[in-house]
Amino acid sequence: MRFLSFLFILSFFCKTSLAGESILALGDTEYGQHLAGECVTCHKANTSKGIPSINGYDKDVFVTLMLAYKNKEMENQVMQMIAGRLDNEQIASLALYFHQIK
Amino acid sequence: MFNNSRRSFVKLAAASTAAISLPSFAFGAVPRVVVIGGGAGGATAAKYIAKDSKGAVHVTLIEPSKRYYTCFFSNLYLGDFRNYGSIGHNYYGLSVNRGVNVVHDWALSVDSAAKKVNLGSGASVSYDKLVISPGIDLKYDSINGYSAEAQSKMPHAWKSGTQVQLLKSKVKGMKKGGTFVMVPPPNPYRCPPGPYERVSMIAHQFTKTNPTAKIIILDPKKKFSKQGLFMEAWQRHYPGMIEWLDPETHGGIKNINVDTMEFETDLETFKADAASVVPAQKAGAIAMNAGVNKGDWCPIVATSMQSQADENIYVLGDASIAKSMPKSGFSANSQAKVAANHIRGSLTGSKIFPARYSNTCWSLVSTNDGIKVGASYKGGAEKIDVTSKFVSKTGESAELRKATYEESIGWYEGITSDMFS
Repeated sequence: MRFLSFLFILSFFCKTSLAGESILALGDTEYGQHLAGECVTCHKANTSKGIPSINGYDKDVFVTLMLAYKNKEMENQVMQMIAGRLDNEQIASLALYFHQIK
Repeated sequence: MFNNSRRSFVKLAAASTAAISLPSFAFGAVPRVVVIGGGAGGATAAKYIAKDSKGAVHVTLIEPSKRYYTCFFSNLYLGDFRNYGSIGHNYYGLSVNRGVNVVHDWALSVDSAAKKVNLGSGASVSYDKLVISPGIDLKYDSINGYSAEAQSKMPHAWKSGTQVQLLKSKVKGMKKGGTFVMVPPPNPYRCPPGPYERVSMIAHQFTKTNPTAKIIILDPKKKFSKQGLFMEAWQRHYPGMIEWLDPETHGGIKNINVDTMEFETDLETFKADAASVVPAQKAGAIAMNAGVNKGDWCPIVATSMQSQADENIYVLGDASIAKSMPKSGFSANSQAKVAANHIRGSLTGSKIFPARYSNTCWSLVSTNDGIKVGASYKGGAEKIDVTSKFVSKTGESAELRKATYEESIGWYEGITSDMFS
């Protein structure tokens, strides 16, 4: 819930908030599955203490959060590093992949 | 393991999509991968090859232990933040969920010419591609006076399992106001922050039960991982308890007398009431047997984790020379995914993506006080190159440190699920 309320605020003030829809078209689910190997070292199917599950995540929320980490508008050194080297196609591919798994 | 209809489908699929590029497998048996070692590298590689190939590659995992205790988080067991059972895992998930043929046996030797692995039982297993992920062996004679026998008196506890339980009993049983001596290993070694997290957890234990105890670290290194962060934490949480001596101060450990528990250095002879001695390390023996080592460790191709000595062998994790990528469970897990993608591509013609790696090492220094260091990497032409990195800062808020600790718990749940389910 903290993430979602943060996102709500972010959607008004953040320059990256509306980027989601436009870049999702670049995504490829199969590519997302490959890239997801890096994510699932930490993110598991069920939320653990300290790290949320991202399975079934809303695509637009996913993209918005990843761009916010990439632009260092959200705090977390690990996520800033991971998102920092993902391009739009890769972020979109991950969004599509995680959205469709349980 | 594979029913007839699936086998037929696999053959058909192989014949229709890969007959030209992969003639040796097009009409023959399902290609076979053997993985030696069921830790963060081997278990992950076995899982991902089996999972992503959906039966098109037959995967055998050779691992002697039926229950695997992780080295990572074993320090938290020393500090009473985890119970021992919580760091143990089994291979049912790989076997049942992924169809990996899990063989609990020792890999005794590799015949790379015949492409087969000989097992302790006398049986052998043939491979098209071999993954070697054996972890470390200890160079007991790297410190005068230390030996394999001495590990029962001064546990290294650098492979998880009974050594860690022994160390904990020595810490808890140490006399009141006694001295604990910690000897970290020289570079390179498994888990760079590990010795210093261990000291933190032992200090945490002493603070509760033996507050006048002292810890002396006789380090063969002039500096160590996350040094500023650890030293700040020791000052804050355990003032006056921990003394770190670098080699310029103590002049080197000349000899250890295991019977009298004395550590002879140029500076003075330190008498310990309990101790942990972690000797120098090298790649697990099977890597040497396979002939993929150059000295103590195994050179790899940075874009695939293939051995530089044999294109049909991949070396993962601690045993490999990954340069700036530390020897950690996280690194091994990351390298395993690169190798799995490359192996599957080589055997079935599936797409091989550019190698990307990452690592983060979390350490717990006291209750709800976690620190971390990490980096991302790519497979460069010569070696694995850093693309970005980060480290926790001194003076961070208690709230952030608690979040970092909780993140490490999430990571533990995540990586062990990624390895074993």
